[in-house]
Amino acid sequence: MNEILAKLATEFPGVFDAENPDPSGALVPADQHVAVAAFLKENGFTKYVTVVGSHYPASGDEGVAEYEVGTVLRNPTRNSFAFMWRVRIPMDGEVPTLCPLFAGADWQEREQFDLVGVRFGGHPDLRRLMLPEDWEGHPLHKDYAIETAHPPWR
Amino acid sequence: MEVRVPTRPNPHLDIDAYDADADLMALNMGPQHPSTHGVMRIKLFLDGEVIVKAVPYPGYLHRGVEKLCEKLTFVQIIPIVDKHDYVAPMTNEQAIAVAFERTLGIEVPRRARYLRTILAELTRIGSHLLWLGTFTLDIGGTIGGGASVMMYTFREREKILDCFENLTGSRFHYNTHTVGGNRHEIPDGWVDQVKAITALMKIRVPEYEELCTGNEIFNLRTQGVGVVDADLALELGLCGPNLRGSGVDHDLRRDQPFHAYDEIEVNVAVAQGGDCHARYQVRIAELYESIRIIESIIDKIPDGPLSSQRPVKSHLGVKIKTGCHYHSIETPRGELGTYIIGGGDNKSASPYRLKIRPPSLHSMSALPYLLVGHTVSDVVAILGSLDPIMGEVDR
Amino acid sequence: MGVDETYRNYEHPLYASLEKMPGITVGLARLDQLLQWGARNSLWVFPMATSCCAIEFMTAAASRVDLDQMGTIIRPTPRHCDVMVVAGTITVKMAPRVKKLWDQMPEPKWCIAMGSCAISGDFYRDIYSVVPGVDTICPVDVYIPGCPPNADQVMVGLRRLQEKIQLQREGKWVEPDKRPDDPRTILPEIGLYDRREDDMTERQHEASRHLGVGGNESRDNDDGVISHQGGVSETAGGSTE
Repeated sequence: MNEILAKLATEFPGVFDAENPDPSGALVPADQHVAVAAFLKENGFTKYVTVVGSHYPASGDEGVAEYEVGTVLRNPTRNSFAFMWRVRIPMDGEVPTLCPLFAGADWQEREQFDLVGVRFGGHPDLRRLMLPEDWEGHPLHKDYAIETAHPPWR
Repeated sequence: MEVRVPTRPNPHLDIDAYDADADLMALNMGPQHPSTHGVMRIKLFLDGEVIVKAVPYPGYLHRGVEKLCEKLTFVQIIPIVDKHDYVAPMTNEQAIAVAFERTLGIEVPRRARYLRTILAELTRIGSHLLWLGTFTLDIGGTIGGGASVMMYTFREREKILDCFENLTGSRFHYNTHTVGGNRHEIPDGWVDQVKAITALMKIRVPEYEELCTGNEIFNLRTQGVGVVDADLALELGLCGPNLRGSGVDHDLRRDQPFHAYDEIEVNVAVAQGGDCHARYQVRIAELYESIRIIESIIDKIPDGPLSSQRPVKSHLGVKIKTGCHYHSIETPRGELGTYIIGGGDNKSASPYRLKIRPPSLHSMSALPYLLVGHTVSDVVAILGSLDPIMGEVDR
Repeated sequence: MGVDETYRNYEHPLYASLEKMPGITVGLARLDQLLQWGARNSLWVFPMATSCCAIEFMTAAASRVDLDQMGTIIRPTPRHCDVMVVAGTITVKMAPRVKKLWDQMPEPKWCIAMGSCAISGDFYRDIYSVVPGVDTICPVDVYIPGCPPNADQVMVGLRRLQEKIQLQREGKWVEPDKRPDDPRTILPEIGLYDRREDDMTERQHEASRHLGVGGNESRDNDDGVISHQGGVSETAGGSTE
């Protein structure tokens, strides 16, 4: 873990801190997201694990509603561990897609768009995956009621 | 950025621009279909009999579990998560329990870890038996003769389910794991029951293997079909037997040990070739390996407490640590991971966001790559060999 | 969704023509019995199997509990089938397909709701994408409770359906117009349950009342179907509903 952090700290100074790593994963600016993924892929983290989006509603008067997208990669070697980092964007922003690097990002990002609402820039086919195509709203928003009706079936 | 290898099929092929002269037919498979993998729909675009583009549509079983878990505590989450990979129920609970334990730094006593390992390996045997039964059922046809292996494997699986019923009280959806250990103590005679199962499996599994590998139709339908090369498999996030069938030597039981696997030697089965037959061979080898693991530790379960935590008086007792955490274990299908985001202060008993990383979703996302160039009859074989479980895919 | 039951009483067209012939009623009773026996003992099943109950259904069709011994064959096409067994959660995306497949089944047809997800939606009933029970889509004849029900309970449910078919043909079936408040399992008269203690059901209900789950709370749905499942229960486990 320390070696890859050291390499990342050299390559992306200011983003990764090798001495006090953030246990939740470093916050990476959106424009360096793909570069970080590419660097990790060259350094042994070739297995795509998952991407997770979360909705943080605006807190207070000046707060901005944000999405936080966490990406997890794994190195499929003897001492394997999962490496993750986070990207925070405002709700109308976009996270650049990892589809050219990892084929598995296609469906994962579609699912997060479907449920959470975070958009991925450059995705070849960003449409709903889990819910019907004509569904309105993104269920995993914090202000989406879990008992939302969907006539005529419920 | 690396250059995309041009021989990989394009899953987002534009059908209208494909070929003006070709007469493409759109064939819909599912969501209700004779193959036994649950509700999934695949839209196939066929040029004659050959598939040009395949578009799977998951989501027919989307039960909104991630939204539900945001207002539940861990005691309530465990039986819900149980219902994802319903063919291997023990490992679902174990994934959540391990994730919570590693996040909170709770140590699991050795007795519970050994019991969990035995349960995980028994579940692996049960899951692979069911997979073998339904795989051959799909390939052979219900009335055609594929049902023979299914009847045999389900007969063995009943004995494993009896074993679980003896321990926990139910055949399915046990709710026997908690944070810090297990709930149900091993009854008398359970160890002998497990030994009887392994002794029986050592006789039966070679029979099943001979039935399948010795069958020419089975070989013709699975060899060379649905080839995944190692790079594509890793990029897609394939894991478990699907990844090991493509030649990648990666198994979380050995590489990031959990339960009692750090004290046990696990021989990882890897097959070259990446086709359906390779994945079948990996699963058969895993059956043998699970039998060996159970036999090596069934007599050595250490004494001691079964849970390191006192029985929880209120389900609000366990709090989730702030921050993002990801932990995963190896289930019969691959890497089942849990991504938990804890609330703002360390005092929330429900996760802010809980995401399950299902191995079957990645297997299904491989379908647009794998099905191109094959015929419709190969779809069933490929789907069976990837072993997706829709409860996991859709959550 | 309203439930249309106008086609519940099925009349065999053979009878209508035969009844007009004088003196034929002597043979009709025997023929009637033969046809009833045939219809009962050859129920071909259409598995609308979505989730975990599907595995228990497959197990019921497999070696130990062999559904084939009752004459049931699992046919994946609705056009050949008599009974649709809904095993598993029905979601909003799947519901129109269930309705379409139910409509494609020829008369006479029956529906069995297997597992608590199909009966009432289980603990998913309040979720945005889950249909709370399949009886909002099609009329259900037999409910098999459990999560999942044991494989032999599937056999019990099919036997109960056979009884119901016989009683319907004999004209002795009384259709309950709503689900009872008290969720007692109706056990068929096949002699398996003589060993069940008389007050077992009472004790189970007492235990569930003590835990504060399920039991006697009823909640009206829009179409008059009363369900007896509260929200998510606070206690863990749910093997028996």
